[in-house]
Amino acid sequence: MLQVDQLTTDDPKVSLQDISFQFDAGNIYTILGRTGAGKTELLRALMGLNPLVEGDIQLDGQSIAKRPVKDRSMSLVYQQFINYPHLSVLDNVAFPLRRQGKKKAEAQLLAAKMLTTVGLGDFLQRRPAQLSGGQQQRVALARAMVKKSRILMLDEPLANLDYKLREQLREEFPRLVAGNDDSVILYTTTEPREAMELGNTMIVMTDGRIVASGPPADLFAHPPTKDAASVISDPPISFISGFVRSGALYFGEGQLAPNNGLHLPPDGPVTIALRPDAIEPGGAFNATIGLSEFSGSETIVHLDFDFGRAIMLVEGIETFVAGTRLSVSIQTEHIMLFASDGQNITTRTK
Amino acid sequence: MNKFYHILKTLFLFGWSLFVVFPFLWALTTSFKDANAITSGATYIPWVDYEPSTQGWTSLFTTGSQGINIVGPFIDSAAVTLIASLVSLALGTLAAYGLSRFEYRLGFVKNADITFFFISQRIMPPIVLAIPFFLMLKELGALDTIFGLVLVYVALLLPIAVWVMTDFFAGIPKELDEMAMTDGCSPIGAFFRVILPNSVPGLVVAGMFCLIFGWNDFFFAFTLTFTETQLLPVSIVSLNSSVTPWWSLSAFALISVAPLACVAVIVERYMSRGTMSGAIR
Amino acid sequence: MTPTSTFGVNTMLSSKHFFLLPALLTLVAIILFPLLFTIRVSFSSWDVFQSGLDYIGGKNYGRVLADERFWQSLGRLSLLSLISVSLQYTLGFALALAVWKQVRGGRFLRVLFLIPMMTTPVVMSVIWRTVFHESLGPANDILGMFGIGAVPWLSSATGAFISVLIVEVWQWTPFMFLLLLAGLVSLPREPYLAAAIDGAGTWRTFWQVTFPLMAPITIGALIIRLIEASKIMDTVYVLTSGGPGTATETSSYYIYIRGLRDFQIGYSAALSLVYLVIMIVSLTVIAKLLLRLLVGKVG
Repeated sequence: MLQVDQLTTDDPKVSLQDISFQFDAGNIYTILGRTGAGKTELLRALMGLNPLVEGDIQLDGQSIAKRPVKDRSMSLVYQQFINYPHLSVLDNVAFPLRRQGKKKAEAQLLAAKMLTTVGLGDFLQRRPAQLSGGQQQRVALARAMVKKSRILMLDEPLANLDYKLREQLREEFPRLVAGNDDSVILYTTTEPREAMELGNTMIVMTDGRIVASGPPADLFAHPPTKDAASVISDPPISFISGFVRSGALYFGEGQLAPNNGLHLPPDGPVTIALRPDAIEPGGAFNATIGLSEFSGSETIVHLDFDFGRAIMLVEGIETFVAGTRLSVSIQTEHIMLFASDGQNITTRTK
Repeated sequence: MNKFYHILKTLFLFGWSLFVVFPFLWALTTSFKDANAITSGATYIPWVDYEPSTQGWTSLFTTGSQGINIVGPFIDSAAVTLIASLVSLALGTLAAYGLSRFEYRLGFVKNADITFFFISQRIMPPIVLAIPFFLMLKELGALDTIFGLVLVYVALLLPIAVWVMTDFFAGIPKELDEMAMTDGCSPIGAFFRVILPNSVPGLVVAGMFCLIFGWNDFFFAFTLTFTETQLLPVSIVSLNSSVTPWWSLSAFALISVAPLACVAVIVERYMSRGTMSGAIR
Repeated sequence: MTPTSTFGVNTMLSSKHFFLLPALLTLVAIILFPLLFTIRVSFSSWDVFQSGLDYIGGKNYGRVLADERFWQSLGRLSLLSLISVSLQYTLGFALALAVWKQVRGGRFLRVLFLIPMMTTPVVMSVIWRTVFHESLGPANDILGMFGIGAVPWLSSATGAFISVLIVEVWQWTPFMFLLLLAGLVSLPREPYLAAAIDGAGTWRTFWQVTFPLMAPITIGALIIRLIEASKIMDTVYVLTSGGPGTATETSSYYIYIRGLRDFQIGYSAALSLVYLVIMIVSLTVIAKLLLRLLVGKVG
């Protein structure tokens, strides 16, 4: 329904490079990328706020690249809470409807309904400045949704909220946007977990390009490239250089690696990716413990091996003393292999 | 804050207050004097130092050979100042908004240069433009008219409006404009429906500066008007050079400055809110 | 030329120019002709009574360079401006500081201190003329009460200069006061907390914290005030008429005499342009100097 062809922009911060993609109605697309990856720029280019150097945007088969912003049937929710300071919450949400030509009474009715859906039914007459951050974002969301545009875009909408609020709104999100069968939802974020939770299709961006796209679970299990893999993982994946010789896989200088079931490429250098859950205490490899930190109900431990550094994820809260030695094992199911060109060449026998 | 500084500060504030108020008080008592009260030297307190009389005040409202007539000049000043300020504010605000949101290019001239062009008009000493303006208005048949003065004043006040509003708009996030457009406004619509309603503090400050500089101008009014249109500053100066008694002069002066003294109250309110600091840089 | 702006593809020709053109065209229309005319006239010897403009080359400019009275007026103007603006700045800053945290009567004082700059300079000068009247005015009368002899406010060169200075300071200190107070009000609080923790006294705190933080506003205020002060005309016209003699004759006043009293239009045009160029150059130099001085100090 929304087709993007060779979209290229020229921006001092980050330029979009030749982006092509097809978005289908009724889907939620999460766009994952680090800061500076081009997520915001993509949304702004679609919106018409950033000029295109090359490429086309087509909505239902019609080119809209030259249309003014107001005629594109798109809505945008910003990371900073942007609402109209001089209007009440109700009038804020009614604003786009009024611009569509609806009469005041009708617009306010629809606005009131939408505000009730997002849980702000009691705040209609307040000014945005009188609301909390989370409430202000809900107003912005209500306003974005009330006009039933074909494309709803959200640019890291929860990034400026505190942790608890973020979790709460994340849970509510599917309910809030439900019933949008005819529209496309684009949601950008820097957090892999958020991207995988909220979208049914995930798009990964780096340096102004799309480096991977597909169902989140698939992308997570088998990221197509090294770049994609590093963006998708949280806690981060560790990359270790290794090589294959005589049908065996080696880390770094020559430590033999387990490879049960892993199809090895021909002899030569490979990049071995270790997922954090690939490493477990108790095994044949020795490492020195570096930093360890808690995250939720898990412990993340930074380990120093002879062949490189890796990160280990352990269930539960455990104490690891920095500087001490630890023996660990490496589970092959959670290893990936990447060729020198970055392509994922991991294959396994069942 | 020790005692010494405190006393020093109080004395200083008191002294300066006295200095500020002095000319007004002097004018006030003088406006109630007659010939007897003046000729023997300076007098201060009515009924104690001299016998008060109201001829200073009544003479202002009588026309004809004996009277002075302040009403005509007052109306002329008000008309010229208000019209010129409104026009300058309107044009200046639009220009300032354009300069803060769009990129302009005319050869090598860019936004910053255009803004500088506007603001640098204030450096021009009135004397440089006085005679050419005179000739220009003469060609247009606009000498000695309110229209002619408004034309000239707009050129003088426009830079002020641009100066204040440029800085003000810089403080409004562009995302607000963008949001208005995604919601269905054209760029012009976004300006009028969203940005302008949120610009009231800046408009008030800019408007007031325009009023102040407009109402208080002497030189251009002096050069460009004669009998038909008389502004307050010009009136009082010609009264001053002819043999006009002090009491009438003082009364005239007080009425001239009264309106803008009220503006001081409004300016103070915006000043203490800290909204003016943006207008300075 | 790809249009770039906040509004991307929305930079329709109409919107963008709708905003800027009315003001730009109006200003250019009203100012351009007079300016061009002035330049043309400066190369003539026109005195209003002739019907056409002759051409005398750069004679007027040569005369300007040799015109002692003009250069003296420039010197007088510089002296007057520098002293008066310095006083205005110092007093304005002191007032702003004194009123800054004042709660009792603070609002009243702020309004009161603002009033002088809202008044019409010529009107106030009319009043001041009665104040400085040497035999009938209160200035000498009050001095007499303190046993000080009559000061020739308007009849001596120094007295007249000082009278103008007093009126200027009275009139424009509020402007500095306004700008500086607005600046003070929006200063961050952290540096003051830090200074208090370090045990800095009032004087130290001012020089180490307040003054450096106010540097940008100081520069802006000084430059704006110098620009306006250099144009001084109204006060001189009414209070002293440039006198006694030429004691308070500033450049604007002298140019006015040559132009609108002697009707030497061509010559006064040349004077005006020379004056304009000198003003622009010196103000730019002063601005850069101030920037380096104050911002350099802050680092």
